[in-house]
Amino acid sequence: MKLSLFQENRLLSETGENNEIDIAPVMNMFIVLVTFLISMAVFTHVAIMEFTLPPNVGAGLDQSKGKPKLRLTVRVGSDYMGIVLGDKLLDSLPVAQGKFPFDTLAAKLQMRRKETAPQSAFQDEIVIASRDEIAFKQVIHVMDICRETGFSKVGLSSATVNPEAGK
Amino acid sequence: MNLGKKTSLGLGRSSTGTFRPQLTSLVDVMAIILVFLIKTFSTEGNIITPSSDLELPVSTSTKKPTPRWSIEIARNSVMSEGTFIASTRAYAKQDSLLIPELFSWLENKRRLRADTTSQALIQCDKEVPYAIVKKVMYTCSKARFIDFSVLVIQEE
Repeated sequence: MKLSLFQENRLLSETGENNEIDIAPVMNMFIVLVTFLISMAVFTHVAIMEFTLPPNVGAGLDQSKGKPKLRLTVRVGSDYMGIVLGDKLLDSLPVAQGKFPFDTLAAKLQMRRKETAPQSAFQDEIVIASRDEIAFKQVIHVMDICRETGFSKVGLSSATVNPEAGK
Repeated sequence: MNLGKKTSLGLGRSSTGTFRPQLTSLVDVMAIILVFLIKTFSTEGNIITPSSDLELPVSTSTKKPTPRWSIEIARNSVMSEGTFIASTRAYAKQDSLLIPELFSWLENKRRLRADTTSQALIQCDKEVPYAIVKKVMYTCSKARFIDFSVLVIQEE
């Protein structure tokens, strides 16, 4: 009596060849699935950033009476970036060869936010005043920095050449 | 010549004499693509489709967009809901902040829709100078849009 039952009972195909799995249906299913998923795929996610206009622009006129309240302002220009409170230039960060000092701006903003908290009635508000020639992506970058620094309300405005002189 | 042997191209000839491509590697590729696509599949999708003429700026913002009045600022034109309104070249050098074509378009649409919303969504190309954006914002504010949001590509 032979001990090996497996060898005796092994099923072979009729031709005696090894069976091959037919993967054509699997391929068909894959092609359909991949096509469907590619058509439904979202490769870029969009988001929004909210901002307001300065209170003295357009229909959104500031109805509040009395002295204007001080807000920190970031001046964005192709010559320098500045942090301004009222008409006082607190920091000036030169733009060298078109490279904006965003890292320095973030650090300075953090510091100035703490310093000006007692003077400023709007600790979470900031105005970004940009010069006309600045590309919009740079303004968005500054808005990102302001938001990450803790300013939840961002206003957009137009910058003067010299913030201290107001011109 | 051994006909049953696989060639370097992954093609083999069966015992019946017909060539049969080796699909194993193709199945592997398809499986990888499938896993990648399922992983990136989003059930939420985008409510707002950015205009194809624009290259939106990148931001770290994660706030989800909601449907609003949309104004698109491309490098050469200002559009709204796919309709050309004004050329930016014509207004780039002007001192006036108002874009009359955009103002009248917004006013007309507002009147037709009997809409009193103050929210507007700006889709702006990342290379557009701020001067143009400022003029569009000013014009919108004159048309009683004061709450703005800007559409950005979410940074990964």
